[in-house]
Amino acid sequence: MKRLAASALALLAAPLAAQDFSEGSEARTWNLYAEVPALFDAKVVDVMCELTGNCPANCGDGERQLGLLRSADNVLVMATKNNQPAFTGAVVDLLPYCGQQVTVDGLMINDEDFPINNIYLVQRVKAGDADWAKASQFTKVWAAENPDAKGKGPWFRRDPRILAEIEKVGYLGLGKETDAAFIEYYFE
Amino acid sequence: MRRFWLGLMGLLAAPAIAAEGQRITVTGEIIDTWCYYSGVMGGPDSVVGSAHHTCALWCSASGIPIGLLTEDGTVYTVLKLGPQDNATGGDTALTLASHTVTADGMFYERDGINYIIVEEVLEDKGIVNLSHEDYDVVPSFAIPEPKE
Repeated sequence: MKRLAASALALLAAPLAAQDFSEGSEARTWNLYAEVPALFDAKVVDVMCELTGNCPANCGDGERQLGLLRSADNVLVMATKNNQPAFTGAVVDLLPYCGQQVTVDGLMINDEDFPINNIYLVQRVKAGDADWAKASQFTKVWAAENPDAKGKGPWFRRDPRILAEIEKVGYLGLGKETDAAFIEYYFE
Repeated sequence: MRRFWLGLMGLLAAPAIAAEGQRITVTGEIIDTWCYYSGVMGGPDSVVGSAHHTCALWCSASGIPIGLLTEDGTVYTVLKLGPQDNATGGDTALTLASHTVTADGMFYERDGINYIIVEEVLEDKGIVNLSHEDYDVVPSFAIPEPKE
């Protein structure tokens, strides 16, 4: 009975311990201090739905944060970043898989001392026997949604909402006057 | 022993059901969680406040989760921010980027991540962390060089 109880306690402790999901991963390094390659099976979920039971159709249609409910240990991983080095989130890439079982490959960030737990950069995703899809869809979707924002430079230099906010409060967010003085100093 | 097994079974079953929320009021800065957690742009003090405001706009607009960083270093991932249904790339999140706010909402914890569903922003103190005085801007290209 003692041994059975010990095994049960070990099972209980398993999700809390850092597990190694790096086997088979082909994730590219981003040279982040706490990154670890992580390939795992998971269900794509609406995080708010998972926590509260408030569950709109299609995971909120892009208006809610998405998570990865890892099959191996039921840990809810936060899908924070997609594969593009362009300040882009992962919702656009994961939304087509809402409610589905997928395999994801990417970088996990855990640091017990910080602490940081289960923050994930997804690089590629696939459902069932389908081919891997790169998690790099944000800029394509953004371009389709912002046909009037064509031009040179990355999306974040042309995004109408970002430009409007900067126009209103400046790059530092402290007003145009503070911005002007800082820009003079910064580029002198 | 029976009580032990019942308790253990209860704990094992816990992750399968929705977590229980707790009403809280917290004060902290609305931050960009990716840059803060990943260290991709530098240390945590450099990716908050005015120095990081423009980058926080970029990340927020693309749907990267925003967080509420309190004075004691706790980060709450914000899933909803006031009247808008969510905090994923929404206008309220953009307007409040880098601002220190007092927020009332429901707190949840799951697998080491703190979450808050903000029902109401009680106070908006604006940007009070003038980090540009120490770090200029992060990343350094956040402000494009003025054309001659």
